[in-house]
Amino acid sequence: MTSIIKFTALSGAHDEAPPCYLLQVDDFCFLLDCGWDPHFNMATVESVKRQAAWHLHQIDAVLLSFPDQAHLGLLPYLMGPMELKCPVYATVPVYKMGQMFMYDLYQSRKNSEEFDLFTLDDVDKAFDNIIQVKYAQTVQLKGKGHGLTITAHAAGHMVGGAMWKIGKDEEEDIVYAIDYNHKKERHLDGALLESLSRPHLLITGAYNALSVQARRKERDQALLNNILTTLRRDGNVLIAVDTAGRVLELSQLLDQVWRNQESGLCAYSIALLSNVSYNVIEFAKSQVEWMSDKMSRMFEENRSNPFQFKHVTLCHSLADLAQVREPKAVLASMSDLECGYSRDLFVQWASNPKNSIILTSRTAPGCLTHTLVSNLKLPSVDLEVRKRVCLEGEELEAFKTKEREEKLANEASEKEAEVYESSDEEMETGDHQATPTSPSLPPRVPKHDLMMVEEAKARSSFFKQTKSYPMFLCREDKTSWDEYGEAIRHEDYQPKDLPPPQETLPMDTEAEGDDKSEETAVPPTKCVSQTVSINVRCSLSFIDFEGLSDGDSVKRILSIVKPRQLILVHGSPDSTNHLRDFSLSSLGLAKGKLFTPHVGECLDASTESHIYQVKLTDSLMSAVGFSQARDSELAWVDGNVQFTSAAPSGFKGQGEGSGDGVQQRTPLLNALPHNQVKGHPSVFINPPRLADFKQVLNKAGLQAEFSGGVLVCNKCVAVRKGEGGKIKLEGTVCEEYYKVRELLYEQFAII
Amino acid sequence: MAKRKAETSGPAEESDLLTIRPLGAGQEVGRSCIMLEFKGKKIMLDCGIHPGLSGMDALPYTDMIDAEDIDLLLITHFHLDHCGALPWFLEKTTFKGRVFMTHATKAIYRWLLSDYIKVSNISTDHMLYSEKDLEKSMDKIETVNFHQEVDVNGVKFWCYHAGHVLGAAMVMMEIAGVKILYTGDFSRVEDRHLMAAEIPSVSPDLLITESTYGTHVHEKRDIREARFTGTIHDIVARGGRCLIPVFALGRAQELLLILDEYWASHPELHDIPIYYASSLAKKCMAVYQTYIGAMNENIRRQIAVSNPFVFKHISNLKSIDQFDDVGPCVIMASPGMMQSGLSRQLFETWCTDKRNGVIVAGYCVEGTLAKFVLSEPSEIVTLSGQKLPLRMSVDYISFSAHTDYEQTSEFIRILKPPHVVLVHGEQNEMARLRAALVREYEDNEEINMEIHSPRNTQAVELYYRGEKMAKVMGSLATKPPHEGQTLSGVLIKRGFNYHLIDPADLSSYTELTTSSIQQVRAF
Repeated sequence: MTSIIKFTALSGAHDEAPPCYLLQVDDFCFLLDCGWDPHFNMATVESVKRQAAWHLHQIDAVLLSFPDQAHLGLLPYLMGPMELKCPVYATVPVYKMGQMFMYDLYQSRKNSEEFDLFTLDDVDKAFDNIIQVKYAQTVQLKGKGHGLTITAHAAGHMVGGAMWKIGKDEEEDIVYAIDYNHKKERHLDGALLESLSRPHLLITGAYNALSVQARRKERDQALLNNILTTLRRDGNVLIAVDTAGRVLELSQLLDQVWRNQESGLCAYSIALLSNVSYNVIEFAKSQVEWMSDKMSRMFEENRSNPFQFKHVTLCHSLADLAQVREPKAVLASMSDLECGYSRDLFVQWASNPKNSIILTSRTAPGCLTHTLVSNLKLPSVDLEVRKRVCLEGEELEAFKTKEREEKLANEASEKEAEVYESSDEEMETGDHQATPTSPSLPPRVPKHDLMMVEEAKARSSFFKQTKSYPMFLCREDKTSWDEYGEAIRHEDYQPKDLPPPQETLPMDTEAEGDDKSEETAVPPTKCVSQTVSINVRCSLSFIDFEGLSDGDSVKRILSIVKPRQLILVHGSPDSTNHLRDFSLSSLGLAKGKLFTPHVGECLDASTESHIYQVKLTDSLMSAVGFSQARDSELAWVDGNVQFTSAAPSGFKGQGEGSGDGVQQRTPLLNALPHNQVKGHPSVFINPPRLADFKQVLNKAGLQAEFSGGVLVCNKCVAVRKGEGGKIKLEGTVCEEYYKVRELLYEQFAII
Repeated sequence: MAKRKAETSGPAEESDLLTIRPLGAGQEVGRSCIMLEFKGKKIMLDCGIHPGLSGMDALPYTDMIDAEDIDLLLITHFHLDHCGALPWFLEKTTFKGRVFMTHATKAIYRWLLSDYIKVSNISTDHMLYSEKDLEKSMDKIETVNFHQEVDVNGVKFWCYHAGHVLGAAMVMMEIAGVKILYTGDFSRVEDRHLMAAEIPSVSPDLLITESTYGTHVHEKRDIREARFTGTIHDIVARGGRCLIPVFALGRAQELLLILDEYWASHPELHDIPIYYASSLAKKCMAVYQTYIGAMNENIRRQIAVSNPFVFKHISNLKSIDQFDDVGPCVIMASPGMMQSGLSRQLFETWCTDKRNGVIVAGYCVEGTLAKFVLSEPSEIVTLSGQKLPLRMSVDYISFSAHTDYEQTSEFIRILKPPHVVLVHGEQNEMARLRAALVREYEDNEEINMEIHSPRNTQAVELYYRGEKMAKVMGSLATKPPHEGQTLSGVLIKRGFNYHLIDPADLSSYTELTTSSIQQVRAF
C-alpha cells in the first residue's frame, strides 16, 4: 500500500534558475515545467540528459504552468533535437501564448545572431503535442497512469497560468504551484491555492519569500508619474516587458490610463513592440473567458473587448516604431534585455538623460535586467551588441560567386533529372514552402508572370477556395479624391533604393527569418557582434509588475493550505531557508516531511498510505445521527467488517492498478449489535471562537464581556481557551453556569 | 443499476427516487424547463418561454414547484425557448439557488433578451420583466467554461460542446454517483463555425434528450446548401426579392457565412445586395468575434490570420426606412417565424408578387405565420387583419442545427443509457421517435433501455440504488480489513462522500479540530 513519490530537481532549486522538475508517482513520470534560461545555458540540458540517461524516454507527460520561456523554453529543444515524445498538458492560453513567446524569442535571436538551437519547426512540432485543457477540467490518465487524474487550477500571474493538482484515487493529492499570484489584477483573477487545502504533498516555490511589495495603487502611480515626467520633458520611455504574459496587464493598464482625459497622456504616443504584437493582442481578445470576472463583465455589459486598444499602437519592427510620433512610451519585449527590441532600444536610448527606462521584472540572474535591477545607479554597462548586417564589398562578391556556383550546380543536377522548369522558380517555391507556418512571418509570395492574386489569400481563407484562372496581370489602382484633388501617395515621391539584382536572391534558410523587407528580395546578411560600453545616463527604475504573491502572503497561504508534506524549490538559498524555517515553526511539519532539494538530488517522498473502501449498509446508516460541523456532517459509527463473497481482498488496488475487468469485492460495514458496542469517549469537534460564542450568549440574553482574553458571563462564569484548543469553563454553581454550559455544548459537533 | 422499489420512505436524501418532471417542453417545443429531483437535490434545466404564446401563458408550469427549494439552475443556450423566462424566474420568484451558463451564452443572453423586451408587442403592464430586471439578473448568473467541473453542494456538473449555436452546452450532472446527461438542443454535424456535439467519454445512467425532428433524417449538408443557394439565385435572377426570415442569432451567422462565400464566387451577383436587417446581430458580432474558443478548429486556426466574421458582400440594414426597395435583393430579417417585426412587414409587402420568394430556413413552432405559410395557403391575414393573396414562392430548407434520427440513434447507441427521457418535440414527432428507438432495441438482449416521453408536469419516476461507500483512512486502515473486524470511528459526510477515520486523525485529514471542555465548578 505504498505510493512511490520521487522528486528530482533538474533546474531551479536553491536558486532562481528556471524551474524544471521530475516527479515520479508510482510508475508514472511527470516533467513539471521545462524552463530554459535566457542564455540557453546547456547546463540545464546536460542535467536533463544526465538524469535522462534513463529518464527521457520514461517521461510520460509534461505539465506546463505558464507560457513564458522560464517555464516552457526547453520544450522545443526537448521535442526537437532530443526527440522526447509524450503528451504535454497545458491550458488553452498557455498553448497559444506559449507559441507567441517562442516565436518572438526565435525571431529576436534570429534578428541579431546565428541561432540554431532549435527551429520554428521544432516549436510547431512541440506545440502539436500539447493537449489543451480548461481550468478545473479533470483529465484521467491512461495506460501507466491509470488511476491518476490531473487538473489545472487558475494561478494568476499570466493568462492561462496553472497550478496542477495530481490526484490519485481521489485522496492522495499532489499540488504543484509555483509563481502563482493570489492578488486580483486588472486582467486576471487571483489564484485560489487555499481551495486546494490539505494536499498530501505540495511543491511550491520560495522565489518571493523575502519580497515586500508596494501597494498596487502606489505602484501604478509610480509608473504613471515616471512616464508622464519623461514624456513631458520630451524623452522616450522604454518599458521592458515579456512577449505575451505580463505585457497584457501593462498594456491594458496603460491603454485605460491613456483613455482618461485628465491623465494628460493623450497627447503622447504609446506603442507595443514585439515580433508578434498583433497576434498576441488578437489572441488576448479571444481569451476573455480566461481572464478576470471583471473583464468578462465589462465585455458582457458594453460589448467592447478589453483588448480592443484605443491608444496603443502595435508595432512589429523598429521601422514601424519609427512611424510613431515622439515622444513616446514603448512596451518592448523581452523583459530580460538579453535580446529583442528592448535591447536594441536600450542601446539607442540609454545614453540620453531625457529618456527613461523602466524594468518590470527581475528575471533570471545573469541577465542585463537582473544586473541593472540590483544596481540601478550603474553608471555604465559593457554590452555585447549583436547585429545582422548586409554583406558588402568582397564578402558580397564571395557570396555571389558561391551562389552562382550553387545555382549552376543546381541547374546541372536538375537537367540530369530532366526537369524542364526554370530553376529560378523552382528554388523560390521551395524556399517559400520551407517557411514555417508562423503567423509572424508573412509568407513570401512567389512571383508569377500570370496573375494569381487570390492564391495566398484563399489558401488560409475561411471561405471556400474560389476558382480563379491564370490571366495576365492588369491591376487598376484606385485613386482616391477629396476636395483638394487626388490624394498624394508619399511613396511616389520618395527616392527609390535600387532593388538588389535578382540573381542575388539568397537561398540560405536564414534569410526567411527576416520579415522587415516584404516582397523585396532579402539581401544576404551576416551577424557581427562587438562589445560596447554604454553610459547609462537616462533615468533607470524598477517597478515590480511581475505579478507574483509577496512573501507575507506566501506564508499566509501556506499556513492555510497546511500541506502534509512540502517541497520547496525555485528561490535563492536565502529565501528557501527562510521559508523552510517558517514552515518548520508554523506549519507543524515534521523535519522528514519538509524537503529543500538541491539540483540533481533525487528525494523520496513515498509514504505508506492507508486507505480502503467499505460499503455502508442501510442498517448501519439508519442508526447513525449526524451532527453538523462547518461544511460536513459527522457521526460516530461502530461496525464490523463483513465480506459478502469468497473474494479474498477488499483492497482497492493501489499500486497494482488492476484492470477494470476483475471486479473487486468491497467489504460491507454492518452495524455492530448493541451488546457489543463498547462506547467511546465523546469527541468535541470544531470548537467555536470565543468572540462568536459571545454573540451567542448575548443573543440568549446573557451578559458577556471579554476581560483579558477571558469571556466573563454575568460576572460569575468564565470561559477561556487553553492550549491546543481546550476550553475551560469556570464558575460558581448556579443557573447561569448550566445555561452557559448548555450553550457551549451546542456550539460543538459532539459525537 | 436502476431497480424498482415499491416504497419510498425516510427523508428525501435517503430516497432512491429520481424524478424528472418537464414544466415545459414535455411533448411540445418551446419553454424548455425540466425539473430533476434526486437525493433531496433539486435542479432546474433551462427556463424558457413559449414563442407561440404571450405573457404569463408563455411561462413554463413553475407554479408546480417551490422556486425556493431549487439548488441549481442550468441554462444550455441562449435561445428564447431555453432562457427567455430566466429574468422573470430570478427576479420575480423566491429562487435563491445558483445559476450557470457558458460565457458566450451569457454575453448573448444580455442583448437577446433586451431586444426581446423591446420588440415584444405586448403592452408594458403585461411584460414579464423589464430591462432593469434583466440587468439585475446578470449579476446572479455565474459562468462556466466547457469541461470545467463545478460542485454545488454535492451536485457535480460539467458541460460538453453541443453544436447547435455558439455557446450551446450539454450538461452532465453527477449526484451521489448517478450520472445524468441533458443534451439541450444539439447537433452532431460540424458546420462552418461550430463543432459537432461531443460524445461524452462516460456513459450516463439517464439521458434527457431533445426530439425536435423525431424520425426525420436531414438532407446532407452540401445538398442542402446547394439547394439554398440555388433557390436564392433563381429568385434574384427572375428579378424577385428574396426574404429569409431568421432568428437574429445562431443559425443566421451560419447562413451569412454561406451567402458571403456564394456571392464571392459568383461575380455576376455582385450587383445584387444582401442585407442583414438586425441591430441585435450587429450588437452581438463582437461576441462572435471574441468567443472563438467555443467554435470549431477551422475558425480557431483562421483567427490567427483574419477574423472570419467580417463579411465582404453583406451589409447591415439599420431600419426599414433606409431600405430602398427598387429591385432584386436578398434580405435576412428577424424574427424567424414571422410573428411580428421586420420579417413580417417585408413578407406582407412582398407576398403578392409571384417573382418574390421566401425561404424558411429554421424550425417553426405551431401557430406561427411561418408554419402556416408552409402549408401553402392561398391567402394570409396581415397583422392589421387584412387578407392578402399569397403569390410569392415558398421554400423550406431546414438549417436548424438539431439532431435528426440518424444522429440521435447513433448518439444513443454509443452511450447506451439505461433510461432515455424525450423532451423538446411535438407530440407526434416524439411518439414516432420513441417507437423507432423501442424498435431498434427490442430484439437486443444485452441492452435494456426504457424510453419515456412525459407530458408537461407529468413526472417520470426512476429508482437508482445508490451505494454508500466510505473510505477508511489513516490509523484505522493500517491493517487490511478482515472478516468480523470491528471498526469504530468518526464517519464524515461531505456532499455524497463518506470517510471513516479515527478521531485522532481528524485534524490531519480535515480542517476540523477536536477539543475538550474542562469544567471547574466553585461552590
